[in-house]
Amino acid sequence: MDRRGFLKTAAIAASGALAAPRLSLAAGSKTLRFVPQANLANLDPIWTTQYVVRNGGLLIWDMLLGVDDTLQPKPQMVESWDSSPDFKTWTFTLRPGLKFHDGEPVRARDVVASINRWMVRDAPMGLPIKKRIDALEAVDDRTFRFRLNQPYPKMLFALGKSSTPCLFIMPERIAATDPYKQISEYIGSGPMRFKKDEWVPGARAVFEKFDGYVPRAEKSNWLSGGKRINFERIEWQIVPDGATAAAALQSGEVDWLETPIADLYPLLQKAPNVAVDIADPLGNIGSFRVNHLYPPFSDVRARRAVQIALSQEDYMGAVVGDDSSLWKTLPGFFTPGTPLYTENGGERLKGKRDYDLAKQLLADAGYKNEPIILLVATDVPITKAQGDVTADLLKRIGMNVQYQALDWGTVGQRRASKEPPDKGGWHIFHTWHAGADCISPAPYTALDASGGTAWFGWPKSDLVQEKIAAWYAAPDLAAEKTAIAELNKAAMDFVVYIPTGFFQFKQAWRTNLSGIVKAPFPVFWDVTKA
Amino acid sequence: MSATTPQHLAAPALPAILPVPKERGRFAGFIYRHPTIFVGGVLIGLMILIALLAPYLGTKDPTALAPSKRTREPSALYWFGTDMLGRDVYSRTMYGSRVSLAVGFSVAVCASVLGTFIGLVAGFVRVLDAVVMRAMDGLMSIPPILLAIALMALTRASVQNVIVAISIAEFPRVSRLVRGLVLSLREQPYVEAAIASGTRVPAIIWKHILSNTLAPLMVQATFICASAMITEATLSFIGAGTPPTIPSWGNIMAEGRALWQVKPYIVFFPAIFLSITVLAVNLLGDGLRDALDPRLAKRL
Amino acid sequence: MLSYIARRVLSTIPVVLIVALFVFSLLYIAPGDPAAIIAGDQATPADVDRIRASLGLDRPFLVRFGDWFWHILHGDLGTSIFTNLPVTHMIAQRIEPTVSLLILTLIISLTFAIPMGVIAAWKHGTWIDRAVMVTAVLGFSTPVFVIGYVLAYVFALRLDWLPVQGFTSISNGLWPFLRTLILPSVALGLIYMALIARITRATMLDVLSQDYVRTAKAKGVGQRRVLFVHALKNAAVPIVTIVGIGFAALIGGAVVTESVFAIPGLGRLTVDAILRRDYPVIQGVVLLFSFVYVLVNLGVDLLYTVFDPRIRY
Repeated sequence: MDRRGFLKTAAIAASGALAAPRLSLAAGSKTLRFVPQANLANLDPIWTTQYVVRNGGLLIWDMLLGVDDTLQPKPQMVESWDSSPDFKTWTFTLRPGLKFHDGEPVRARDVVASINRWMVRDAPMGLPIKKRIDALEAVDDRTFRFRLNQPYPKMLFALGKSSTPCLFIMPERIAATDPYKQISEYIGSGPMRFKKDEWVPGARAVFEKFDGYVPRAEKSNWLSGGKRINFERIEWQIVPDGATAAAALQSGEVDWLETPIADLYPLLQKAPNVAVDIADPLGNIGSFRVNHLYPPFSDVRARRAVQIALSQEDYMGAVVGDDSSLWKTLPGFFTPGTPLYTENGGERLKGKRDYDLAKQLLADAGYKNEPIILLVATDVPITKAQGDVTADLLKRIGMNVQYQALDWGTVGQRRASKEPPDKGGWHIFHTWHAGADCISPAPYTALDASGGTAWFGWPKSDLVQEKIAAWYAAPDLAAEKTAIAELNKAAMDFVVYIPTGFFQFKQAWRTNLSGIVKAPFPVFWDVTKA
Repeated sequence: MSATTPQHLAAPALPAILPVPKERGRFAGFIYRHPTIFVGGVLIGLMILIALLAPYLGTKDPTALAPSKRTREPSALYWFGTDMLGRDVYSRTMYGSRVSLAVGFSVAVCASVLGTFIGLVAGFVRVLDAVVMRAMDGLMSIPPILLAIALMALTRASVQNVIVAISIAEFPRVSRLVRGLVLSLREQPYVEAAIASGTRVPAIIWKHILSNTLAPLMVQATFICASAMITEATLSFIGAGTPPTIPSWGNIMAEGRALWQVKPYIVFFPAIFLSITVLAVNLLGDGLRDALDPRLAKRL
Repeated sequence: MLSYIARRVLSTIPVVLIVALFVFSLLYIAPGDPAAIIAGDQATPADVDRIRASLGLDRPFLVRFGDWFWHILHGDLGTSIFTNLPVTHMIAQRIEPTVSLLILTLIISLTFAIPMGVIAAWKHGTWIDRAVMVTAVLGFSTPVFVIGYVLAYVFALRLDWLPVQGFTSISNGLWPFLRTLILPSVALGLIYMALIARITRATMLDVLSQDYVRTAKAKGVGQRRVLFVHALKNAAVPIVTIVGIGFAALIGGAVVTESVFAIPGLGRLTVDAILRRDYPVIQGVVLLFSFVYVLVNLGVDLLYTVFDPRIRY
C-alpha cells in the first residue's frame, strides 16, 4: 500500500466514522430490537439460501402468494388467477397499488424477470417449471401468464413456497442480475425498506417502515394476509455470543431473541418481563448423513448397523437439553404433526439399542477398522452436539472414528467432494432440516435418492425414487398417505439418511411485546410494543 | 537510533548480558532470596504431576458422554459437576492440564530454537540481516492472536497445528532478542579476539554466543510458555484451537461459555487452573530473571 | 529529524509489502470455500462451482495477487465476497468502536498503572510493593474472556450498573458512549495495566537511584515532586515503549473483548471474516492492523525526543 493509497483509505474511514448517521438511542415503542439466529452477511435471497437472509427478505420483498399456518398458499401480491383444466396455462393478475421502495409501481414484467432469476436457483420446484416452460410473458402491466408443455398442478405451492429460495419480486433491472451473482440494490415492494447506509454486516441491519405499502385487508396469517407493521424501525442486532444475547434480553437492551440457547430457557423463564415459547411449531429434524459412495457405508448393512445402535435420546439431549417437551424420537422422515407423518418402517430406530448386532452387521459389511472421517462443524452448536454424540456412538460399535473439527464453511466445501474419504472426501456429516421442508417430498431435497444428482451423500435407490413419483401422481390425500408410508419404509430400509430426532426451539421476548406468533420464520407484522 | 529501538528497550523481556552468578547457598537461603522461583516451581511441579497422574486421580474417561446426566452441579459424585454432554468436568480439567502444559512447553522450545537460529543467521550473515529482520518486523506487526487464528484457519484443528501456529506467532521476538545479543557480543573484546585468531564461526557461536545467550533465552522462553498457554485457551475459546474431542482448558471453557450465567462452574474450574498455571510460569520467569541477572534483580 | 521520519516511513514499506504477500499466500492455500457457504445448505455442487467462478476464485494465484495488489495501490481494498460492500466501507463502519475501545483502554490503564508502579517503587520491598506486583502478574495470567465474563456478570447482570453488550456511538452523547465501553475497556486493560505497572516500577527504581534524583532530594524538593516530576519524566521512555509494543497484544485482546461484549468493531470483523473465509476483508484488515502497528511504533520513536532530549536523530 503506498502512502497516498493509505491516506485515501484513512480519509474515507474517517469521513465514514464522522458521517455515520445518528442512531436512535431511545428505543421507544416505535423501534423493535431483534436478535436474529445468525449474522445477515448479505441480502440476496436468491443467490444464497440461508434462512436468515430469507427472514430479512420477507420484510423487504413481497411475494405473489404467501403460506398460512397450514402451509397452504394464499394470494398476497396477486389478486386472482386462473389455470386451464390441464394445468398447462396459468394466468395471474396482480392486485392494484403495489409499489416498489423507489416509488415505481410493480409491473408484470418485474414479476416475469423475478421468476426467471428464481427458477434457475430453485432446484426442487423452480427448475421443474423451467423445464416445462414454453413461454412466460407479461400480458399487460398487471397480468402475466405461464404457458407450459406439461401439466404442473403444484404451481401455487411453487410460487408461494416459504422454504428457500422464496420467489421474491424485485424490480426488473435488479432481477436481471445473473442468478449466480449477488444483487447490490435491495429494493422490494415489501412492508419495510432496507436502510443500506446503516447496515453494518456482522453487527446491525436496520429496516424502516415503507409508507407506500398497502397491506391486504385480510387478517395476517404467517405470510398471507395483511402485513401491518407497527414500528417505524426494526433493528436487527447481531450478537454472536448466545450468553451475551440472553443477558441483553434480561436487561432489556433488546426486545426479542429468535434463537436463545436451550440451556438458558429456564433462566429466561424466571426472568421478570421475559416471555419464552416455542418458536416454530414445525420444528427441525436432525440428520446423520452418510456417504453412499464409499465403504463401509456403500453397504446397506453398515448403514443399518448405525441405525440400530443410534440413540435419538442421546442426540436430542445433547442438542436441546433436559426439557423433554422440546423433542421427540422420530422413527420416520416426515414432520410430526403434519398430515403425511408416518412411522411405517421405522422399527430399527425404536427400542433397545443393539451394539452387538451393530458390530455383527459391520463385520458382515466387511468393515475392518478403517478410519471413518466424521466432519463436524464446531461453530454451529447443533452440528457440534450431534458430532460429539456420533463420535461416542461409533466408538461403542467398534468403529475407528476420525473426528475432524471444522467450521461450517469448510464442512460445506468438504461434503461436496466425491473423492474417497482418505483423499479429502468424507464418511459422515451432520446437519438438520427445517420441519417446514419435510412435510412432503416436494421441498425435501435430503430425501431424494437419485444418485449423482441427489443431495450430498448421493444415495441411489430406484425404489425410493419410485415411491416419490407415486406421491407426485397421487390424486388425493388418502393416496398420498399410502405413497408416503411406502416411501418412508423404503427410505428407512435403504437408510437414505438417519434422522437423529425431531426438536423444537424456543424464542424469547420482552413481555411488553405482543402479537408474536409461532412460525418457521419470525413474523413481524401485527407485533406491537407497549 | 535504529528501527529496533522500541523492542530493545523492552526491559522485562530483555535483560542485559551478564554472566550467571555462581551463588550456591543453602536451600533455605535460595528460597529466601528467590521466593518466586520456589513458589512458581512448586506450582508448576504440581501441575506436571497432575498431568502425568491424571488417570490415577479419581478421574473417569474425560470424553465419555452421558447426555442423561448433563449439567449436574458439583457434588460428591461429580466434584466439578458435568458439562452439557454429561462429561465429568473434574476429569476433563485434570486431563486438560496435559494439553496446556504440552502446548506451553512445546511452543517455548520450538519458538526458542527457531528464533535462535534465525537470530544467529541475521546476526552473523550481514547480507541477510536487513531482509530477515524486515520479514520479522512484518510478522511482528500482525497481532499474534490474529496470526494464530489465520494459521489455524488454514489447517485442520490439532494440537500439533496449534503448537506450530503459536510458535510462528512467537518466534520473531526470540529472533530479535538473539540477533541483538549477537550484535552486541560481536563487539566484545574476547569475541573479536576469537574472530581475529581465525576461530571458525560455528565454534564461536557454540563457545561464546550461545553460552551467553542461554540465560536471557531461558527467561524469554518462560514468558513465551505463559503466553502460549493463554493463546491456546483463547484460540479454543474462539473456536480455532485444539479439536473439541480433546479436553483442553480452552475447550472446556469454550463449551461452557454459553452457560456462564446458569452453570458458571464449567468455566470457573478450568479458568482457575489455567490462571494458576500461567501465574506459576510467570513467577518462575520473574524469579529466573532475578537470579540470572543481578542488575535487573535489583529492580524487578 | 525530517530525514529520519522519511527513512522510517520508507523502511515500513517493505514491511507492509512482506505482510501483504504473506497474508495473501496464507489465505490462498487455506481450505474452506466461501462459495459453499454462500450457496447454503440446499445448493447443489454445480451451483457451488458456478458461484466460485463468478467470484473469480478459480483464477491462478499470481493473477489474483497481482490484481489485488494493483487495486491496493489505488487505495481500493476490494469488495467483500459476502456482503458485496467495499472493504474500505466495512472498515470505516467498524473503526469507531475499536478506536474508542483502544483509546479508553489506554487511558484507563495509564491512569491506574502509573501511580501503581510509582507507589510500588516508592514503597519498594514493603507489602504494598508485593501486592502491586502480585496483582500485576495475576493481571496478565488470566485470559481476557474470563475477566470479561466476570465483570459482565457482576456489574451488568447482578448490579445492573452498566450494559451487558453493544456499542453506542459518541454522537449520542458522552455518557451513553462511555457506559457501553467501561466494562470492555477494564477487561482489556488489566493485562496492559499489569505490563505498564511493572515497567513503571522497574524504571522508577532505576531512576530513583540516579544521582540527580538524590540531588533533588538533598536540595529539599518535596517527595511527591521528586517522584512525579523528576523521576517519572525520566521513566517515560520505557513506559512509552511498552505502550507501543503492547499495542499488538492490545489488538489481539480487542478481538476477544469485542466478541464477549458484542462490540461491532474491527476485531470481530476480522474473526468473522477469517471463519467465513472472506478473503478481501481479512487481507484488508490485517494490512490495516500491521500498518497501524508500524505507525504507532514510529510515533513512539518520535515521542522519545519529547521525553528525553538527549535522544537526537
